[in-house]
Amino acid sequence: MSAIVCSHVDKAYGATTVIRDLNLSIEEHEFVVFLGPSGCGKSTLLRMLAGLEDISGGEVSIGGKVVNDLDPGDRGIAMVFQNYALYPHMTIFDNIAFGLKRQKVPKAEIQQRVEAVSKTLGLDPYLGRKPTELSGGQQQRVAIARAMIKTPKVFLFDEPLSNLDAKLRNHMRIEIARLHQSLNTTTVYVTHDQLEAMTLADRIVLLRDGRIEQIGSPAEIYERPANLFVAGFIGTPNMNFIDVTVSRVANGWTLTNPGTAFTIDGSRFTLQDGERAVLGIRPPDLRTATPGGSENLLAGTADLIEFHGNDALVTFALGGKEISALVSSRACPIIRSDVRYTFDESSLHLFNAASGASLLRQ
Amino acid sequence: MPRRSSLPVTFIVPTLVILLILSMVPTLYAIIIALQNRELSSTAYSYVWFSNFYDLFFDRRFLNAVWVSVKWEFVTVIATMVVAIGLGVLMFEAASPRMRNVYCLLFIIPVLLPRVSAAFVWKFAYHPLYGIATYPYRLITGGLIFDPLSKPATALFAVASVDVWQWGLFFAVIVLKLLETLPPQPIEAARLDHAKRWQIHAYVTLPMLKAPLVSLMFVKMIESLRSFDLIYVMTRGGPGVATETLDMYAFSQGFIESGKVSYASAMAVLMMIATVITFTMLWKRVQA
Repeated sequence: MSAIVCSHVDKAYGATTVIRDLNLSIEEHEFVVFLGPSGCGKSTLLRMLAGLEDISGGEVSIGGKVVNDLDPGDRGIAMVFQNYALYPHMTIFDNIAFGLKRQKVPKAEIQQRVEAVSKTLGLDPYLGRKPTELSGGQQQRVAIARAMIKTPKVFLFDEPLSNLDAKLRNHMRIEIARLHQSLNTTTVYVTHDQLEAMTLADRIVLLRDGRIEQIGSPAEIYERPANLFVAGFIGTPNMNFIDVTVSRVANGWTLTNPGTAFTIDGSRFTLQDGERAVLGIRPPDLRTATPGGSENLLAGTADLIEFHGNDALVTFALGGKEISALVSSRACPIIRSDVRYTFDESSLHLFNAASGASLLRQ
Repeated sequence: MPRRSSLPVTFIVPTLVILLILSMVPTLYAIIIALQNRELSSTAYSYVWFSNFYDLFFDRRFLNAVWVSVKWEFVTVIATMVVAIGLGVLMFEAASPRMRNVYCLLFIIPVLLPRVSAAFVWKFAYHPLYGIATYPYRLITGGLIFDPLSKPATALFAVASVDVWQWGLFFAVIVLKLLETLPPQPIEAARLDHAKRWQIHAYVTLPMLKAPLVSLMFVKMIESLRSFDLIYVMTRGGPGVATETLDMYAFSQGFIESGKVSYASAMAVLMMIATVITFTMLWKRVQA
């Protein structure tokens, strides 16, 4: 049985529709990440699951029960907010116990459950303190404890790590992953950070302008992006795009661009002669061409080199477009030198220029 | 390097001196008069030191005035805060942003009325035959007469209700604005934590607003001490001495009934000392 099902869900604020006809089903024990740029409706969708926003149309069910008209407290969910949303005037203990007190759980049981949860999250030394006396990471852990103690059917996380510094964010991300491994509760997690999405998710739901662009495992989304938007959004550094015209030749296909031409076998793609397409290649998939080779070359003058440590990102212009290649920093060219890169056809992406849809065979 | 200049001192000192004279001279003069036996009817006087204060403790009307003042303070402050918080929360929960603005405008109007005007308006509203406030009673009982201002049991509450009408509604606007400044997330978290609407306010929003609410209460406590105009217009301390607060009694002792200026001054000085001590203690407690 699916833990969460959204069918034909709409959300409108007055005349503005932010989510339209969204269909999604989340399995039990799954860790699903809503990913997308700011304003794509991912937080709104999460808040609709939580009951903090009205559902303008369609139906949301959690655990097999339609929850459209249920109060947030009655939906069997717990939520962790971006800015922690702790009760500032209460001690950590009272913050964690607040929900249980409202449900009139006996005192002894509250005590016992708070202790158990705070032990799991390493909060026991702080139970008597106020939220302001804790660091950001500790406050977020309190927020997670407050959600955990209710033993919900579904955890909702609304950009929980955005307010933390980079190091703490890594640390908390690992903690959340461990927590999910041990509790195995269905989790919906909203973020705009693709690293979080890639590392945490069983499945990623990529949203743009209130529509789902692609649903899939992190590997699927990275390796088989369904369209240009997904391809451009996922992956750091960003995928290189080159506008090309497809034409049929004896032993395959050529992709021509005013500056250059590529010959491919094309068996992975559904191609048509004369079609205008966009070629996509990820910077790490570009490798330095052998001196004699002349197949599928991307050549130019390196005008920017960003040193990343192990790797370096070489940027050069090709036919008026910036192309980046991620190379080992040991093999890094010097700036303003000529560079020549090539790629394997297996790492190539092709998209229809008009619709943006991927031309990969299903 | 900025040069040390005498300019700030030049500007500040005269103002401070004027302020000091304005505040200290009447206070000191009141203390001095309180130690004498001045009366309006004669120019002769001598120092009687603390005998005025001594007499006060055996003056039953004075003790009654103290009790009425304390009652007035408690009734008006508590009722104002209850009305303010109740209405503020109600507006926050039930009113649309547009209606909130309308209510806020309406609720600010009473406090803008001069006290004396408000007192007259309500004095007439309480009129047993023509008043709008007593109209429902006449309607229900078929024309029986009810005069809240002339019954010792109700007079104080009737006058206090005017004070609450002015300040409670105004404070309700402030409470609403305070609630609106709160971050929405803790409220949402409380909704997810199974808190009912009233519990959200009782356990989350109002405790978060404790500091500003306490400040509001202090403002009202100080304001309630200045009830003279309201009571003077509506009941003149009556019926009997039912609404005679300390300032009413001091005024009537000093200028209306007996012209005992020194005796009245002694009351004023005592009131000042009691107020300063009470407020200092309360303030310290709240700060702690």
